[in-house]
Amino acid sequence: MAYLLLVDDDEDFAAAAAKVLRGAGHEVHVALDTDSAVESMQQRRPDLAILDVMFPESSSAGFDLARQIRQDIKALRDVPLLMLTAVNSRFPLGFSSKDIDEHWLPVDDFLEKPVDLDLLCARVGDLLARAASQRPPRK
Amino acid sequence: MCAMASYTLPLAERRTAPAASLPAGPSPELPEGILLRNALWFCRLRWLVLGLFAGFGLLGLAPGLLARAGLRPPGAWPFIAAAVLLAANVLALAHARGAARHLAAASTNLWAQIINDLVVLTYVVHHVGSLETAVGFAYLFHIVLSCIFFPRRWSFLVTMLACGLYLGCVALEEAGSLAQAGIYANAALREQMDLLPGVRLAHVGWAPFTWIVVWYLAAHLSAEVQSRDRELAETNRRLLAAQEERRQHMLRTTHELKAPFSAIHANVQLLTKGHCGELPAEAHAVLGRISTRCRRLANEIQEMLQLANLASATEEPPPKPVLDLSQIMRWCLAQVAPRAEERQVTFDADLQPAPVPVVEDHAKMLFGNLVSNAVTYSHPGGHVAVAVTPEPDGGACATVADQGIGIAPAKLPRIFEPYYRADEAVRHNRESTGLGLAIVRQVADTDGLRVGVESEPGVGTRFTVQFPGSDPNPVAEGKEDRHGLSPARG
Repeated sequence: MAYLLLVDDDEDFAAAAAKVLRGAGHEVHVALDTDSAVESMQQRRPDLAILDVMFPESSSAGFDLARQIRQDIKALRDVPLLMLTAVNSRFPLGFSSKDIDEHWLPVDDFLEKPVDLDLLCARVGDLLARAASQRPPRK
Repeated sequence: MCAMASYTLPLAERRTAPAASLPAGPSPELPEGILLRNALWFCRLRWLVLGLFAGFGLLGLAPGLLARAGLRPPGAWPFIAAAVLLAANVLALAHARGAARHLAAASTNLWAQIINDLVVLTYVVHHVGSLETAVGFAYLFHIVLSCIFFPRRWSFLVTMLACGLYLGCVALEEAGSLAQAGIYANAALREQMDLLPGVRLAHVGWAPFTWIVVWYLAAHLSAEVQSRDRELAETNRRLLAAQEERRQHMLRTTHELKAPFSAIHANVQLLTKGHCGELPAEAHAVLGRISTRCRRLANEIQEMLQLANLASATEEPPPKPVLDLSQIMRWCLAQVAPRAEERQVTFDADLQPAPVPVVEDHAKMLFGNLVSNAVTYSHPGGHVAVAVTPEPDGGACATVADQGIGIAPAKLPRIFEPYYRADEAVRHNRESTGLGLAIVRQVADTDGLRVGVESEPGVGTRFTVQFPGSDPNPVAEGKEDRHGLSPARG
């Protein structure tokens, strides 16, 4: 169906999420850090990228990667981004959907961890459908 | 061969005595921004002086006017002094406002202004009368200002420059190199001051002596004030750094504690949703228990962190923009809706626009906990009535009322204690952490809100939160009363 890149330093979570997404028919590549994620994206452009926020080297590496994709890498500028975070909560400590902003938080949507994997699949499907509807028709 | 990299752990910054880490020795130069502000202020003062000179020059043009006051017409010198000051002011303002900022630093601007002023002042002193008038004491303005603007050694240079210019002027006058001048009409006045050499020397030396004493006092006081300013700035910087460090620590701790539950939750879902094949019913039950305990522990960690964060807040109170409480309540209802649906509890919402000054995150925590509690302690099929109403005084009132198990009157005063849970509440729902209402209390305490509760066992519980129309001063009011937790009623 679609080629997805999952960027998360938690190997256990990434493996479980990847299994469910593969079960939904997607091809999934897992990157455990942001450098290898950029490398992977430059080799093959994903149809959608799922990013974690906090990584061992930086508590905002996911944001930085999102900004890099949107602002610095022209070929990847329109890749839909879904952000996962363990920090946001039902009662916020961090950001909320109103903060989705092209400059501050340039992602298409986010989900809070712990993630319901069915919801993750549904959200991925929605974002892919939205991206397909916005893409110019091929001749 | 690769060069071996090395790294030495830096010594920990001393935290106990801010003053100890301040640079010793002469006071450093003020920051560029402050110097520029001072330069602008200096220019504004100079417009007044310029006006005085021009006005005096104009008076001199009126025939006989100054003569009646015992003064002689000044001629062109007030206009020359005013013109030079005008040119200096235009240049200094252009620099300070940025038009020529790239050409010189703010300190150069101030130095140029001070030197220019001292030269003009000496010119004025000569024409007004260096010995027979007290105009020489006008040098004190620049000496004191330089003590405020500059480090001590620079202000000393200004003082020496003033002394040199003044004494030079007097010396040239005495030697006859400069024509005798003065504003007094009686030209014989100076001759009458023909004193003995020792007395004359003391007379001439009195002004510079006074300037040096004033410089010493002003420079000393100014250095003290600047030192205090730097201490305050340093303390403030450390407080801000500590606050940021704590915030980062909170984020990291939340992540580190929640992330494992996320992985466990995801893997439990793999099993329960059949991604790894069919499981026996007993295994499903075991996984359900694992999942429930994980969720409970994750929630507890989240709430402990929120409570700790609120309780340890030492920084300035967060900003309170005016926000519509009904929108915040709507957001909270949406967050709790899935759980309400699971428990077959419905909301009756009467949310009227109510703009009040509020800390958005705090209000979300407060409403979220109240609504979540109302759902948790409702019976299946129950209703939770939620209302937000504007008050005539510009404040607002929010209520959350359930038809749940209720709370015994004797237990009401304890429900806001951390980890307190009534027996009947534990029997009704084992998942609660006992921290939700402690967070409500902490938010109320922090933001100066009044929270009231009414309850009757078996009938239900109603929480009321009063938001003031203006931001109350948290220092001025008694801390115990600010959260306004009202005693049991009904």
